[in-house]
Amino acid sequence: MDFLLNLAPHLVNGIGLGLLFALIALGFMLIVGVMEVINLAHGSLFALGAYFAMMIIGLEPEWFGPMGEWYVGLPAGLRYSFALVLAPILVGLVGMLLEYCLRGTYGKDPLFGLLLTFGAAMVIEELIRVFWGSGEQVLQTPPAISGAFIWNGLIWSSYRFFAAGFAIVAIFMVWLFLERTPYGAIIKAGAHDSEMVRALGINLSRLRLFVFGFGVMLAALAGIIMAPIWGLRPHVGVDAVIPAFLIIVLGGVGSFGGAVVAGVLVGLTVGLTAAYASQWSLMSMYLLLIVVITFRARGLFGKKSVLEN
Amino acid sequence: MNTNTGVSAWITRPMLITFAVLVSLPFWIDSVGLYQYLGVEIVIWMVFALGYNLLLGYTGLPSFGHGAYFGIGAYAFGLSQLHLTQSVWLGLFCSILFAALGGAAVAAFLSHRRGIYYALLTIAFGQVFWFLSIKWHTITGGEDGLLNIPRPDLEFGVFSVSLDSNQALYYFALALFVVVVIGLWRLIHSPYGTVIKAIKQNEMRTGFIGYNVWLYKWSVFTLSASIAGLAGGMFAMAQESAYPDVMSLHASGFVVMMVLIGGGMVSFWGPVIGAAVYFLARDMLGAATETWLLWYGLMFMAVIMFKPEGIAGAWQSFVRGRDNSADVEKKPATG
Repeated sequence: MDFLLNLAPHLVNGIGLGLLFALIALGFMLIVGVMEVINLAHGSLFALGAYFAMMIIGLEPEWFGPMGEWYVGLPAGLRYSFALVLAPILVGLVGMLLEYCLRGTYGKDPLFGLLLTFGAAMVIEELIRVFWGSGEQVLQTPPAISGAFIWNGLIWSSYRFFAAGFAIVAIFMVWLFLERTPYGAIIKAGAHDSEMVRALGINLSRLRLFVFGFGVMLAALAGIIMAPIWGLRPHVGVDAVIPAFLIIVLGGVGSFGGAVVAGVLVGLTVGLTAAYASQWSLMSMYLLLIVVITFRARGLFGKKSVLEN
Repeated sequence: MNTNTGVSAWITRPMLITFAVLVSLPFWIDSVGLYQYLGVEIVIWMVFALGYNLLLGYTGLPSFGHGAYFGIGAYAFGLSQLHLTQSVWLGLFCSILFAALGGAAVAAFLSHRRGIYYALLTIAFGQVFWFLSIKWHTITGGEDGLLNIPRPDLEFGVFSVSLDSNQALYYFALALFVVVVIGLWRLIHSPYGTVIKAIKQNEMRTGFIGYNVWLYKWSVFTLSASIAGLAGGMFAMAQESAYPDVMSLHASGFVVMMVLIGGGMVSFWGPVIGAAVYFLARDMLGAATETWLLWYGLMFMAVIMFKPEGIAGAWQSFVRGRDNSADVEKKPATG
């Protein structure tokens, strides 16, 4: 029983981490599905989202006069929620700009899209260094969700619960959007067969622009939630984009449920190894991947897809 | 493609020009404001990029974790010098051997996969090696890496050459570069080379004709990894250290960028051009601005957007354009 109790915080941390990984992976997968582009800039946009949020929360716009004073006077929680909405939108716009650059690569070897986004990742990371410096930054969280509490004789971090809860709500919203709205139906159809979608009279380039913006918004959202846990460095994105890759491969490209299950699986693996062999915690997810891929070549829920050609 | 025999099958005119430029490099590199050691670095990365292009440009397999094999080569060289005997030949042999073993093991997992799955798995495996290099303190020295790797003299049985000066090191690296260039050139123009080019064009058809596609993909990956290992071994010798940075996703990305910017997709010489451009950009932009990666990244994006065939591709279409206009001028005269 003691053993289980000691394990509990690691389980909670692991599941929370996994759900956030899944959120990053979902945006990544939407982009892979509709555009057949491996977006290597996903991690940089994840970091950019957190930096934007930090900027919005810390903003002291004296030059706006009364408006600025009103903003500074707002409670921390409101400013935080405001950042949680505005920062992903800004990142979404950056993502749309990137999609515009990507247009020349459609229909060519998927390698070119991957390389273009690799270049973009470098550029974004350097821009972050230029604007915010190379050092470690802190994203302020409002007092309502920070701090810790004691339950059953163990110390629990409130923020971890907030992060996990937020990720569950966000994933549920994405699921609702994809499964229960006509826009979601178009996106899914676009991932299945984009030529047919175009033949049905849907503006494919607008769809791609929208999906790319939406996908990177999810990354930015995850970045804001993750920043207080991981800290904020210009290259923090790499730590986020690699698990996202793994989750996609593990869960199977194109499977929503697969991404969520694989995300939680990866999170649990990382969380539990952190408990017993903290050095190797990030290594464990690669081993998990290799084990799964050995037995199920297309991942847990993968089907044969056009991306393999 | 003319079927060459004799010397011209082994040595071509672009090869001679490249070798001539590189042989003369130590005599003029100082006068253009650069330094001797840069030449060593460029030649080593040219070897790495050439080996990588065998995979990317000729077989069409996008590996995004190739820095791992470069790194394995570097560590193998360092460890053999520190714990076995001090010998350049033994060190480089270990580099090639262990990189080939690592590559062969990874390729066994990879070679059934295609497209995006292939790229994703190479990234995952590259990260495994990177993590090992950081975390396996007792062997690799962790984040600091292996320091003070000795650089022994080059033994030729009856006599030996000291590699202490940058020039001697440069000419040794260049000699290996020449061997790799000629070896790869022959390989690409052999029946084996024809099959891997066929795999790039259509993997399924190549299989239908009766070639064992898996075996070709596996062997080409292993070969490419061992060349990366050789380059890594030389790098450890030049740096007198081996560290995890060369195995990171970034380092793996840089070699892809070199190959692409140079034009490895359309030309044998693409990786060579690309490696030179990368290091020149690093030193020249790096001298002018601290954020040189920003400008290099933008340049790279522009290349992908407007001229994905890279520098060699631009040169080829320029030459083709000139030839075509020459043809037009000629036609009225002959007709």
